[in-house]
Amino acid sequence: MTTLVPVTFKGGVYRHDEIMDLIDDLGGYIVQKHVMAQDVVLQSFVPRDDIDLIREIAKPLAGTVTEAPLVGTEIAVVSPSLEIHHLPHTACDIAEYLRRSGAKTNMVGLARGFGKRIANLNDEERDVINEHDLAVYALGNFEECIQRKFPALRQGIHVPIVVTGAPDRDALIRIIDPPVEGYVGGVGRIMHRFKRPEELAKLDELVDEVSRTLDARRDTLAKDPLSVFPPRLMAIIEDRIHEVSMLTHPTPVTAQMEGLRVKLPYDSYADDVRSLPVTEGVTVGDIADVTPSRMRNYILIRIKPFSETRILV
Amino acid sequence: MPPLNYFVVESPDPVGKDAYERIAADVLQDLDLIKVIDRLHIYVDPKIPLFVAAGLLRHMPRAIRVSDFANVNPGEKEIVLDISEEAYLAPLLRILWARFGKENVDQPDRFTVVLPAGVIGQKEIEQLVVADPSETLYKDVIYALQYIAPEGFKVRRQYIREGKFYYVASEDTLPGDIVERVVAPLFEKMGVTL
Repeated sequence: MTTLVPVTFKGGVYRHDEIMDLIDDLGGYIVQKHVMAQDVVLQSFVPRDDIDLIREIAKPLAGTVTEAPLVGTEIAVVSPSLEIHHLPHTACDIAEYLRRSGAKTNMVGLARGFGKRIANLNDEERDVINEHDLAVYALGNFEECIQRKFPALRQGIHVPIVVTGAPDRDALIRIIDPPVEGYVGGVGRIMHRFKRPEELAKLDELVDEVSRTLDARRDTLAKDPLSVFPPRLMAIIEDRIHEVSMLTHPTPVTAQMEGLRVKLPYDSYADDVRSLPVTEGVTVGDIADVTPSRMRNYILIRIKPFSETRILV
Repeated sequence: MPPLNYFVVESPDPVGKDAYERIAADVLQDLDLIKVIDRLHIYVDPKIPLFVAAGLLRHMPRAIRVSDFANVNPGEKEIVLDISEEAYLAPLLRILWARFGKENVDQPDRFTVVLPAGVIGQKEIEQLVVADPSETLYKDVIYALQYIAPEGFKVRRQYIREGKFYYVASEDTLPGDIVERVVAPLFEKMGVTL
């Protein structure tokens, strides 16, 4: 079985369709395509053995292929509020940096996430965060505040959490109980853009921490694989439901580690998605739960594991 | 940072102290207040919880008059204002329109305003107050302190008068004697009395 690895292709618009065809022909999947003026960025999964071939073909087009550990994941960046105290720096810089590593990030600005005594999380925020593969909490400067408010902010969250805050990593590990999956110290409330080498090093540390956490999740998934690889289901949906191509979202179908978010109205399209054939005799409804998302009126698809369906597409 | 004559951040949490030094420096720089503030003492204690900032302003900018940004050339039929600093043109036009009517205020190009002769004397128009930066400066200083203070500290008391200002904020109700007990000693450290 070929192993698909997440990579980012960066190149020019000119003849980039050849690269897209090549990835398709090799049995890879393009998860996200960004066209920015003259540049194209493709977040994709390609067979490990064929990376060199893609590099070679991309060379005359001045394209580069780099490994991107977070392709195919959707990450929530949780900010205690949308006030000027927390945005744009820290939260946006973190989100931007994670995107560069291939992740699809969503910013979740809490309605009442500030203040150590009054901080809380409402049910909508909790459900939206739980729809992601991982949540990065961008917290503040004081140990005391993080210790007091974090239990409220994590209540009901069952996805892996990576916490950032100004106290160093050891202090974060000491004050957060029960432990979370990742910690990055030395990143608190910062009122300027991350640009100094030590600040960028912190963001690299965060990407490492996030990829380590997600790799652990991937290892668990490998033991009981999903009935279908999410990017494959994504390709099928994009192919068969033509309304997807008419959406103006940057990612009309967003790939997650264990499912997909389809940005079509649930009421009108859920049945079409459920009855969509994946392969002969198998429909999406057989191998996945198609549920309404708490994010607007989107559709959330959770792919069931092989152990549950006894189907592997 | 800054060419402040006195800049101290105190906090029982050493990491928080460093972070707030950086935050204060960034915010003052962003809002262009470094030249305005002379001394600043910040005390943050997340355990109480309490945030106090006290300081002195360097000097209050004076009111801007027409003569500060325009040459007044009275002629036989008209008075020509030759604008050298466009920043105050909009408030000037608003005042002139209100006083003389739009039909009497002509603006042939960006840097020229023409009034009919005799509606106002040269001295009077030169001394006309167009803007008072100190009004917005008060707001800017208080905004900067709100911006520096931790966001959850919503209960606050603020004061700015005669070159002295303080800003006290907390998550809980502030005690009535907070100014005498906490703010006054900070001013004493800076060598002044409130």
